[in-house]
Amino acid sequence: MGLMFFELTIDPLDVGEIARRVVPEECGATVTLDGYVRRFTRGRETEYLVYEAYKPMALKEMERLAAAAKDEFDISNVAIVHRLGKLRIGETSVVISVAAPHRRAAFEACEWLIKELKRTVPIWKKEVYADGEVWVEGE
Amino acid sequence: MKVSVLFFGATAEEAGTAKAEIDLEDGIGAETALTEILDRYPKLTASRDRSSLLFAVNQEYVRADETVNEGDELAVFTAVSGG
Repeated sequence: MGLMFFELTIDPLDVGEIARRVVPEECGATVTLDGYVRRFTRGRETEYLVYEAYKPMALKEMERLAAAAKDEFDISNVAIVHRLGKLRIGETSVVISVAAPHRRAAFEACEWLIKELKRTVPIWKKEVYADGEVWVEGE
Repeated sequence: MKVSVLFFGATAEEAGTAKAEIDLEDGIGAETALTEILDRYPKLTASRDRSSLLFAVNQEYVRADETVNEGDELAVFTAVSGG
């Protein structure tokens, strides 16, 4: 069982620091997703986002996803960190780092993890515009 | 029996609270529990279908045949939008 860690924090995320924490000697590659706040969504300009989570369930779901990824792909370590609270344009909202002996599995697992996170981990974002705000509902 | 119900984001705004304590019949099925909650908070289904809401019991997505017990933590929320 490799190193796994899952965090929710209101503090700014240091992508490089998170990625370095999952590097083990037996691995050759870490793939890291840096997801950040986009200015335009569906043609509308966002001023900032607010993220909220059902924290204990979100952490459990992250752990479940990482375990499933380890079963499915040849990977060693996984970190999933999501920021909560108010985020400005360009700030990192989510970091997923996957370390693996070889890069292909790390790329595939990282893509699978972000897709599943956006589908199942109970975190929501509110988009705040100059003239209103809306809680985004996933698909 | 008493259970707690948590709401997040849009459902918290619509329910007017992030947490409520409600009384349900002992050993009630999860689907029936959700119906009872939605009856008490009609704004949750005012502008969306019930089928688009997600329902968790004790921090796990509910299973079809699950029952709800005294002291359980229920949660009702919209499709998630993290990332």
